This record gives sequence, C-alpha cells and structure tokens, in this order.
Amino acid sequence: MTRGGWLRWGSLAAVALVFAGLYVRTLALPSSGGFAPAQAARAASPAAPLYGAELLPNSTAASVHSAAAAEISGGGLRAFWYGGSREGAADVAIYTSVYSPKEETWSPERAVMTRELAQRQLRRSVRKLGNPVAGRDRAGRLCLFFVSVSVGGWAGSAINLMVSEDEGETWGPPRRLVASPFFNISTLVKGPPLQFADGATGLPVYHEFLGKFGELLRLDALGRVIQKTRLSWGQSSLQPVIVPRSEAEAVGFMRYAGDPPNRILMIRTSDGGAHWSAPVKTALPNPNAAIASALLADGRLLLAFNNAGENREDLSLAVSEDFGDTWRVVRRLEGDPGSPGAPVAEYSYPWIVQDRAGEIHVLYTWGRSRIKHVHFNTAWLEERR
Amino acid sequence: MSASDAFGLFGCGVLGLAAVATLIPLRRLPAGARYAVMLAAAFAVFIPFGDLPAAAYLRGITGDVSVTTLVLAGAACIARLSGRTLIGPRDLRALFWVLAPAALFLYPFALGWTQFDPYALGYGSVGFVTALLLVTLAAWRAKLYALVFIVIAAALAYLAGAYESRNLWDYLIDPLVSVYALVRLLSGLRHRLSGKVTQPAG
Repeated sequence: MTRGGWLRWGSLAAVALVFAGLYVRTLALPSSGGFAPAQAARAASPAAPLYGAELLPNSTAASVHSAAAAEISGGGLRAFWYGGSREGAADVAIYTSVYSPKEETWSPERAVMTRELAQRQLRRSVRKLGNPVAGRDRAGRLCLFFVSVSVGGWAGSAINLMVSEDEGETWGPPRRLVASPFFNISTLVKGPPLQFADGATGLPVYHEFLGKFGELLRLDALGRVIQKTRLSWGQSSLQPVIVPRSEAEAVGFMRYAGDPPNRILMIRTSDGGAHWSAPVKTALPNPNAAIASALLADGRLLLAFNNAGENREDLSLAVSEDFGDTWRVVRRLEGDPGSPGAPVAEYSYPWIVQDRAGEIHVLYTWGRSRIKHVHFNTAWLEERR
Repeated sequence: MSASDAFGLFGCGVLGLAAVATLIPLRRLPAGARYAVMLAAAFAVFIPFGDLPAAAYLRGITGDVSVTTLVLAGAACIARLSGRTLIGPRDLRALFWVLAPAALFLYPFALGWTQFDPYALGYGSVGFVTALLLVTLAAWRAKLYALVFIVIAAALAYLAGAYESRNLWDYLIDPLVSVYALVRLLSGLRHRLSGKVTQPAG
C-alpha cells in the first residue's frame, strides 16, 4: 500500500476505533437517578423552647462573610467562612471552627485554605478566594467547595473541591471543577450540596458573567462534573438552594437580581431534577440577597431570608407546611427595633443545618465583622410571643 | 502533580511557546540561535520562578486549552523553528469553518442566553457524538487529514481523562481558538472582497 493509502485507510480505522470508544463511554453513562431518600428521622425536639446564640471567633479578619456548616461526628458542627482585610482582598482565607453543643462554644478559628496554598495546590494563579460551601458525599466524607478567582471580579470565579476523611481536621488537595466552556469562569456556589440516588453528588451553582442563572451540577465519586441541568436562564436569578423531599420531588429558591418587585424566586422539579419549572416569584421579599432553606424533620420547610425588599437589615425565618406554596414568617433573628445590633446593620448569607438531635442551627454574616450562630428547637420556632 | 495538572500545564506552556515563536522573528535567525531561543523560552515557561511556572499563570487566565489549540500551537512552534508546515492552508481553512459555527452555537447558549445548554451535551450525548462523527467522516472524505487527526487526538485525550474536565467540548474547542478561527475567516473574507473590488475589469 502507498503512503497515501496508509494515511487514508489508517486514519479511517483510527476514527472507527476512537468513535467506538466515544459511543461506549456515552452509552455506559448511568441513567440519571432521582434524589437520594431523605435522611433517617431525627429525634423529636423537647417541648420546652430552646434558644442560644454566639458569635464565632474571629481574631484576625476585619471582614468576614458567607458561612457554611456541616454536622460532624459526636453531634458537633464544623463551620466555614471566608475572612480577610476586605472582601476580595488577596489575604482572604477560608476559616473553620468547631462547635461543641455540650459547652455551647466554638473552637478558635484556623485557616483551611489561603490564596497561596490554593495557588500551589491547584497549579495555577489564584487572585482571591470566596464563598465556601460544606456538605457530605455519598461515602460520608466531608466536602468543602470554595470559590476562587484568577482574573477580574466574582464573574471570573471557578469552584474547587476539597475532601476530608477525618471530619475536617485535615484535607486533601483541592481539585478544580469545570462547569463552563468559556475559560471555565463565572461559576460560583452558595447553596449546600445534595445527594442523588445513584451515588452522585448534586451541587447547585450559579453564573454571573453576562447572564445570571442557576445550574445543578452532578459530580461523580471523584468530584468531577459529569452532568449538569439548567435551573434558570437570563439575567436575574442566582444562588440556588435546592431542597429535595423525595426521590422525584424538590423545590429550589433563588436570589433575585432583576426589576422590582424584589421577591424570592422558586422553582420545582417532579422528575428527580431532570427538568425544572420556570422560576416564579414567591410572596417573600428579597433585596438581592442570599437565602437558606432546609426540610425539617417534621416535613415543614424552613427559610432564612432578609425580610425586606431593599436592604439586609432584617433577617427572618419563615415556615411552609405545603412545601413552599404558602409561607408564614415565624421569627425575626435580626432587625428588631431597639435590640443591640452590629456596627454595620447587615445580616446576610444565612445557612441552615438541622442536626441529628433535631436542633436547628442558623449561621449568618453579622455586620460583615463576625459570623453569628443561633440555635433553637421547633418549640422556640413556634413559641407564641 | 496529577496527570491532569501536568497535561494542563503542558498545553498552556505550548501555547506560551507558540506566542513567543510568533512574536520573535525566528526565521531571520540562524538555526542554532532559533533552537537556543526556544529552549530558553521553554525554561521560562515551564520552570517555576517562585511558587509557579509561567505556564501556571497562563493557566489561571485561560484554563486548560483544548487539544485543537494545543495542536495548532505545537504546529506553529514547529513551523517557526524548522520552516515545515504541518497543517496546510486548505486544512486550516476547513478547520476554521468547523470551529467558527461551533463556537457561535456553543458560547452564547452556554453563557445563559436561553434555557438550552449545548455544553451539557458534551458530558455524554449520542446525538453530539454522532454529529462529530459525521463532521469527521466528511473531513476524511475530503482528505482533510489534519482535521481528522485533531478530532482523533481530542477524543483520545477525552477518553483518557487527560484534563480536569469530563466534557468533550473542552477537548475540542476553547474561546482562544474560536476567536482565532473567526478572526482568520473574517480577515480572509475581507481580503477576498478587497481583491474583487481592486480587480481590473475585463
């Protein structure tokens, strides 16, 4: 055979082999299962109302923001947030602290990720760090997702994932999640991860470059993005929080950044997250601020949100007994007239965890100078005032 | 260092070398000097100064480059060094005609223009793989072997999980090569139009 013949038929054989591989890979992908079944029932809360509040330690950072937390073995809570001289500064690090429910105290904070460490371990330049998000994968390992930026502002963000085998004492090196074809920029996190029935981890994310919209990433056991579904599109929805109720059903809430009226956006799925309804405005206000939500052990939805259309001075709790159709504002955590507040009246970026004992924890940014932790039971939530 | 980090840094390093080879008029230098310049550039790109090599700073900006960019950058380096053209003008033009529409299809939608997200197809879609197969077979039939080789190399890298991404799009195309293809096509079109205008009548 001539050289030209080898090239012609050899390249065709190579095409056949490679595309056979592509088809096998594509057809071997697991079909998208629904959400993982709900967690085991938690112990009922005691009847007497319980409430406590603490400010998390902060010995160095002038500015802190965006708390996240996960329950760890022994009933404690491990929190994460970012702090530094100011938001977006090069000295911003991701901090952690552990809460002991017996002593109702937080351990001194320590940095788990700095810009320099991220840069070395990710093997690329990193200019600043942002939102951390905590959760568990199907193997039960503690996962920490965090935002990093190499160029520009938050629209230049990408997401990274670190995994801990020892409840957050030590961490493996971070890996970059690839979620956009455009230089892999403009993907951020705020909502907690969730589990799919097939063992994949779901991560609600949002984009801020050109458009503002939400997506749900599906990660494999190694933390690689293997599928994604669009939750919204356009210019006005971000920071999705997804709350599954069954294998098929989930509700999602998103921050609204569009024209008035400023309201929390809601989406729904009834096919395990394969398709989502178009976002609709709820009756609850939203001053272009993050929200948090969780399904309580008694089946009700709890929402932490800024109960104002224009500012973040009021942080309240609302409950829904019909999975998001109607809401009742039950408590105001911050913003009561006359109550002592932070030097800067901004209470934002809430995060909700209900622990195995049934106690509910809400963490949020308190005046940009501290992270505040309030914890209570459902009796306090419903207590008549 | 993980294999995906190594491959990612390698791709960005080759892109950096191609930029150096294009900016410096290498062809005017004697052969020995050409190789010395490129060797020095390779040291500057791949050897860390401080925490990171220059390739890692480029990687921070561009992310991992596609295999298409990697092949074009590698071919540019070889062409500047040795004068050998690995990808002929006909293959290049065909590649640009495939890349430009693909970019116009991918990026606006992937950046949130509508609910439809073509990027999601790259995680595993029979339709997407079939469309790519048809393009590749058309290229093979037209004897555009450079294009066929690029698709084979990108698919092999994808199957091997060479990059951090598990999305086939990221192995085939990136914004850099898309802009390059669009600019080259538009520039070719401009030249053709101006040639027609200045062509004497009759």
